[in-house]
Amino acid sequence: MNVSLFITCLADAVYPSSVGRSTVEVLERLGCSVSFPRNQTCCGQPAFNSGYHKETQKVARHMIDTFEEAEWVVTPSGSCATMIHEYKKLFSDDEKWQKKAEDLAAKTYELTQFIVDVLGVENVGAEFHGSVTYHSSCHMTRLLGVKEAPRILLENVAGLTLTELPLKEHCCGFGGTFSVKMMPISQQMVDEKVQHIEETKASYLVGSDLGCLMNIGGRIERTGKPVEVLHIAEILNSRGEDAV
Amino acid sequence: MTVGKIHNQEAFLSNIAGQLGRERRTEGVQRPQWKKQPQQEVFAGASKEELQEILIRQCGTIHTSVDTTTTSDLPKTLNEALEKFGSSPAVYWEDERFHSFGLDPVLEALPESRAWSDEDREEMTAFAERAKIGVTFSDITLAESGTVVLFSAPGKGRAVSLLPEVHIALIPRSTLVPRMTQAAEEIHRMRKEEGRVPSCVNFISGPSNSADIEMRLLVGVHGPVSAHYIIIEDA
Amino acid sequence: MSIRISNKPFFERVEKGIDDEFMRSAVSGAQDRLEGRKAESTAELGTWEDWRDHAEEIRQHTLENLDFYLQQFAENAAAQGGHVFFAETKEEANEYIQSVIRRKEAKKVVKAKSMVTEEIGMNEAIRELDCEVIESDLGEWILQLDDHDPPSHIVVPALHKNKEQIRETFHEKRGYGKSSDPQELGRFAREQLRKEFLSADVGITGCNFAVAESGSVSLVTNEGNARMVTALPKTQISVMGMERIVPTWEELDVLVSMLCRSAVGQKLTSYITGLTPSKAQDEHAPEEFHIVIVDNGRSKILGTKYQSALQCIRCAACINVCPVYRHVGGHSYGSIYPGPIGAVLTPLLEGYENNKELPFASSLCAACTDACPVKIPLHELLLEHRRDIVEHEKGGFTEKMAMQGFAYAATHPKMFQFGGKAASPIVDRFSEKESGPGPVKLWTQIRTLPSQKDDRFRDWFEERERRNNGGKNS
Repeated sequence: MNVSLFITCLADAVYPSSVGRSTVEVLERLGCSVSFPRNQTCCGQPAFNSGYHKETQKVARHMIDTFEEAEWVVTPSGSCATMIHEYKKLFSDDEKWQKKAEDLAAKTYELTQFIVDVLGVENVGAEFHGSVTYHSSCHMTRLLGVKEAPRILLENVAGLTLTELPLKEHCCGFGGTFSVKMMPISQQMVDEKVQHIEETKASYLVGSDLGCLMNIGGRIERTGKPVEVLHIAEILNSRGEDAV
Repeated sequence: MTVGKIHNQEAFLSNIAGQLGRERRTEGVQRPQWKKQPQQEVFAGASKEELQEILIRQCGTIHTSVDTTTTSDLPKTLNEALEKFGSSPAVYWEDERFHSFGLDPVLEALPESRAWSDEDREEMTAFAERAKIGVTFSDITLAESGTVVLFSAPGKGRAVSLLPEVHIALIPRSTLVPRMTQAAEEIHRMRKEEGRVPSCVNFISGPSNSADIEMRLLVGVHGPVSAHYIIIEDA
Repeated sequence: MSIRISNKPFFERVEKGIDDEFMRSAVSGAQDRLEGRKAESTAELGTWEDWRDHAEEIRQHTLENLDFYLQQFAENAAAQGGHVFFAETKEEANEYIQSVIRRKEAKKVVKAKSMVTEEIGMNEAIRELDCEVIESDLGEWILQLDDHDPPSHIVVPALHKNKEQIRETFHEKRGYGKSSDPQELGRFAREQLRKEFLSADVGITGCNFAVAESGSVSLVTNEGNARMVTALPKTQISVMGMERIVPTWEELDVLVSMLCRSAVGQKLTSYITGLTPSKAQDEHAPEEFHIVIVDNGRSKILGTKYQSALQCIRCAACINVCPVYRHVGGHSYGSIYPGPIGAVLTPLLEGYENNKELPFASSLCAACTDACPVKIPLHELLLEHRRDIVEHEKGGFTEKMAMQGFAYAATHPKMFQFGGKAASPIVDRFSEKESGPGPVKLWTQIRTLPSQKDDRFRDWFEERERRNNGGKNS
């Protein structure tokens, strides 16, 4: 399978390369050939969620062009995959671009969704020793509709114990610009999330969206909690040695 | 009451039509063939016995006690229930079913009891307010929600199931249906075929309750504090 | 009262909410309980998504034909002796209600809980007439006694109060001398309110759904107060938002079932009452029955991209799952309609002027959209509001600049790659001038940013490709 990786801005520019690296290595291990279209930028969420439709349209056209030739587009982010699935709404009065947007959406998958639903793999052969709790990101579960894939993959990781997060479907308070525009509210939300994570006594918090992980991880670090935050790709790429 | 007045209708409705971007619709609108009707599937094909079991189970959820009895034992069962809840004063409907099920002697034997009369509303209301027990007959009974449906009619005062401390509802098993759907269909039929619906249709599921203080369950806020059903195995 | 319950600035209200620890634990406890009950009661059906589709279809059909169904309703109600008043504004609604009360020389009105009467400020209008108006829903009565504290939830209005505060209010206003045990408080309220029901001249209710085919009004309660209000006084007035109507009793069944399950996780609430004006004098019914149908800004929503907001059946399911509501409580919204539906509806009914922040007070987690029994795409409507606010230049100027800059960078890969590292501080500095601290500063006030190792993915990938392919890029 030829996979074009959409790495997302957070994994490319803000986070160290480990999330992207793990994504590539996991996909390759499962027999995919991974390419990285260099012109890719951002999915446009920050503008879209702030109400800037015209600006988002421009970004969407760029992304559609960038991935036009791709066979499959895979991204290690639930919300960015969701955003690509939203593109068609931006072109409700432009049939040509609407069609292009639909074509892109049809071949765009979040990483775990791609592994389970397209590759049909439920065990990636990973080994990770540690207690883990998983944060379900809102856009991935509710809008993209991917609920089971990450859980299935994690349950099949050798050595890993998975503890369910209380109120696991509650938002962590990220919401893109919400996290700064509505900072006092966002803070209460992330604090409750961190409290629930602590209640699980897990050593690792794992998620499939770097936006949420940046929010929760940033708060965990600031408040000095003894929990390490990992992207699910890093777990799936783990071969039994210590965490990446 | 004669025909009522309608004020300001045309301007109001024309504005709505304008906002919807079309001419006024005054006739010819039909309900579509609804794409899905999941309400029809609930307990579809259940027998009366099965519905009775569902009803009894639901009564546990809605804080309602239940007796089951036969037609011939009914007077005795009602008498026991009345005694259990303090008997008197009791108010009940002026309803033919009290005669046909032979319940008049039971109620008339109480120290203080009255059948509802529309003649003197104020006096009856005062009596119902003072009454310990109100007794009614269910017109349609909904198994799913444990609901008795009461149709108002002459002699069937609204206050009887509302003001006394205890409401005893007599439920002929023949009135059992799966859920609200079947009652709604019957009322829809009444409207279409008989041209009117009862002025008051009460769907009552257990006693009055509230969760307004710290979300704690309070039973008996305005209406009855206790509800008791007697299922009569008439069919 | 009207829609607006506070003139304080948004963030001041939010801060007050966040500081109120009792309120917050009450809200989160209530949310967890109500959501749990709802989940259970919808799961047992096994066909909840079909129910939602059906309910949505009913609401859409009714709204598309609203003029027809309202006319049918009014004619059927009037044929049975009911009086119907169509009120385009809240002033018209209140004047009509006042005229009935005046004609009846009423001294006491007892009313059941109704959001629309709050919305139009009806109680104040009635009090102008030297007529007492008494709320009979337990929660509303508590708020009324406590100097008209506004409701903070559309189903459980006094959710923000604890039993000690309630005991205190009962003591102060009504000489209550017993404990703060909810059962005792409840019994006291029962005694007090019984007297009011029996002595009221007029009963006023809202309307959960009107039924067009028979001119009926339906009321959904657990307490039975709406029954008291409609069984005892000689005159009844029901006030309804114009969109709260169904074609026939068959659709009433579906929507009432959805309402009860979504609001409180019950199959049906203790009392559902269908009331139809009656010419028959021998029935135990009010002598006069008035129905006031209120527009008050609703018709402006029809035919717009926001029309689905009128599908709302006021169940509060969206409020019960909203993580923002959970932490700030109902009063923070500054509107009698809080939570996600409030953030959508309030700006539509009242304009953006005082409500600009509301559509942004959401993380767009879409829990509300998932919860809505009539499938209002709430988070999408919040986005539409943001779009309208931004496009009508009501957003901050610097933010607009930043977003245009973002769009430029995100369509120019070279710049974006540079910008990924450099844009944040720039954006930060830009916005600081006009609107206080910028995004990075706000972010780092409470969170740490990921450490900036000089270790970018794209560099790693390209380096690897060079190694593997001898210098060729994809």
